[in-house]
Amino acid sequence: MSGQSEIIDRVPKDESAPQQPEEEVALNTILPLEVIDKSIGQNIKILLTNDKEFHGTLVGFDDYVNVVLENVQEYDSDGPKGKIIKKMLLNGGLVAMLVPSIN
Amino acid sequence: MSDASPPPPPAEASPPPPPSTSGSPTDFLKGVVGKRVVVRLTSGVDYRGVLSCLDGYMNIALEQTEEHVNGTVTNRYGDAFIRGNNVLYISAAEAL
Amino acid sequence: MDTSSGIQEPFDLIRLSLSEKVFVKLRGDRELTGVLHAYDGHMNLILSDVEETIMLVEQVEGGPEGQTTVNVAKRKMNMLFVRGDGVILVSPPSRT
Repeated sequence: MSGQSEIIDRVPKDESAPQQPEEEVALNTILPLEVIDKSIGQNIKILLTNDKEFHGTLVGFDDYVNVVLENVQEYDSDGPKGKIIKKMLLNGGLVAMLVPSIN
Repeated sequence: MSDASPPPPPAEASPPPPPSTSGSPTDFLKGVVGKRVVVRLTSGVDYRGVLSCLDGYMNIALEQTEEHVNGTVTNRYGDAFIRGNNVLYISAAEAL
Repeated sequence: MDTSSGIQEPFDLIRLSLSEKVFVKLRGDRELTGVLHAYDGHMNLILSDVEETIMLVEQVEGGPEGQTTVNVAKRKMNMLFVRGDGVILVSPPSRT
């Protein structure tokens, strides 16, 4: 009980001073997209809400998790589909998971 | 930064990962407006044409549009408005 | 870099098609042609003098897997409201 409230207490509820709280949150918590930010320039797997996957190099992304990829191979449940795509913008609306390569 | 830093090597020399602001979706889109693109819908249908413009919903205006289903042209449109929710991805049809 | 049309956002394409005959592709293999009278940001549409084409793809009974027949059904309507979330594509008449 006490441990949990301690964490919550550190996150200020007050939003009247917009810059200060944001900084404090950033100090105490790791945001999911900050982790993905570290994968820029590396290989990544994008899993969609359907059975499709896109494997490629992560170039960038935004808050909607729209994703820019390079040298992309599309996969469905049967395996690779189509040719390598040099560069693309993938709509974030269908993204379920991002899987950075571990190396 | 103070000394006269040499110009960056002419590409290919494994550049460091760019900062998160460059290469963002917005930057990608700035680079492809006016170019030939492939728009793949979630249904698997492709639209190939010249990207006139798009908005924050990924609604797209295409010119000289060809509809491709399973690799064959099934329709041609002078202009086409594509509602963004159907878009799976946009890629450049030619090298950027 | 824009062409003669002066389109700055995708909805301009629709705005320039008001009172014109347009082609609309909808989810569920439906297509419409009709005169565009009104639209909004959801791509809800009001069309008049509409012809709807429905593609009915059916598995051939007793036939091998994947063998299908396509039945095309058509109907006409004087005035029609189209809910925007079903819209895939809108194409104005080619202005060439």
